[in-house]
Amino acid sequence: MKRFRIPFAALAACLAVSTAWAAPGTVLRNDKLYAQPSAAATVAGSVAKGANVEVLSKQGGWLRVTAGRTTGWIRLLSVRVGAGGLGGAGIGDVVGAATTKSDPSRVVAVAGLRGLNDEELKTAKFNPEEMARLEAQGVSGAQARSFASQGGLAAASVPALPGPEPKQSSSSWGNN
Amino acid sequence: MKARWLVIALALTAASTQANAFDLGKILEERINKELDKKDKSKQPQQPAQTAPAQQPATTQNAAANPPPAKQKIDARQLGFALFGDYSLEDENRIGHQIAGNLLGAVSLVRDDALQRYVNLVGNWVALQSGRSDVTWRFGVLDTEDINAFAAPGGYVFVTKGLYRLLDNEAELAGVLGHEIAHVTQKHHLKVLKQSTLIGALGQAASNKAQGSDQIVQNLIGNGAEIMARGLDKEAEFEADRIGMVFAARAGYDPWGLPTVLQDMAGLPAKDERTSLLYKTHPHPADRLAALGEAVGGRMDNVRGKDLPDRFYRIK
Repeated sequence: MKRFRIPFAALAACLAVSTAWAAPGTVLRNDKLYAQPSAAATVAGSVAKGANVEVLSKQGGWLRVTAGRTTGWIRLLSVRVGAGGLGGAGIGDVVGAATTKSDPSRVVAVAGLRGLNDEELKTAKFNPEEMARLEAQGVSGAQARSFASQGGLAAASVPALPGPEPKQSSSSWGNN
Repeated sequence: MKARWLVIALALTAASTQANAFDLGKILEERINKELDKKDKSKQPQQPAQTAPAQQPATTQNAAANPPPAKQKIDARQLGFALFGDYSLEDENRIGHQIAGNLLGAVSLVRDDALQRYVNLVGNWVALQSGRSDVTWRFGVLDTEDINAFAAPGGYVFVTKGLYRLLDNEAELAGVLGHEIAHVTQKHHLKVLKQSTLIGALGQAASNKAQGSDQIVQNLIGNGAEIMARGLDKEAEFEADRIGMVFAARAGYDPWGLPTVLQDMAGLPAKDERTSLLYKTHPHPADRLAALGEAVGGRMDNVRGKDLPDRFYRIK
């Protein structure tokens, strides 16, 4: 069941038995490597967008990586784990369009394996029985609060994240 | 903090009420002019703006080429829908109900009551942090190995069994659900409907005659649940990542749940058929990680939350 969870599960399993194993990763944005998983720690080096790193372990929002001869901690969101390189980052429109949007061979062939595709969704008919099932499984806010407190969860004050710098939008529809 | 949000919400409500009461006509007019002006300009990009038309000899010619937009007959009420997506809550619920019901016609719910209940508990707790309490939130796990998640207006949220299998703890589930909840709070799908169908269909849906008829809603949303196959624009997905991560963190979860799921998806083989619809409708996970990283920076450095791996419900 967990076989799909390639980067971190494999990483954890391998770290348990060996320190020689590492997963490949690609740096998504210019960033620093720190001696500890904290921006307050000493800076051990810096890496540029597109650089290849070896991912050694993960802790919260940090990854321990080796870049060239430097090993240090980098923010989780500054690295893409896996062998796909930059993937779509920066060149997403080209690669993404070629590999995922217009390639007809990517349409799921449903044979045995239950899959979802455009045609299935397009021809779908309203299913009142499943809707009734969905409604019946709903829970109340009070039940959710009680469930949260059982798990030791408490609502926290976390500010919203800023959106990207506004680009010169040519459309007045854009921000509606 | 709660009080602050309440104040902001009240202020916004007051502001928008005022705008509706006093300035709606003016806003509409400005908006229409701006839009028509834009189209005008796009036809003649090199033409400088005519600031004093009466004194320009060329004006007559221009006016002949581009008849004044003000002459077009416009129903302001329909345009209110078309320009602002002002669906009533009732309309939103009807649209969401139809989309969700159609989606469930394509793929049924996993027959595991404990799983469905667990996802509803986590989902409702995260949704309680979203500030949207006027809808009834319903969550469901869809019985398909496809890796995807869906939201529909009115508070309907679905994750596939394939995506659920990628998850390793409750914080990751909260992050995924937070992303979908954000699509609902930001009314992303309603905005797509607004843009794609524009005045005709919307006017129909808004008319009193149409109330209570699902066929009208079906006309609005197209065939079946195809709106789910069309997807949203990239910016809407990036926004849902930013907001979803914050919703999960506000619910007391480790904020790194959603980024970790994105990392796991980025690590899947590119040709994995279980992700073909996902990648058709979403930016690549590497792009989403990069965009989210730009927004997060060090802002989550001091946010601590729970992962709850032990309580996480594992599919048999």
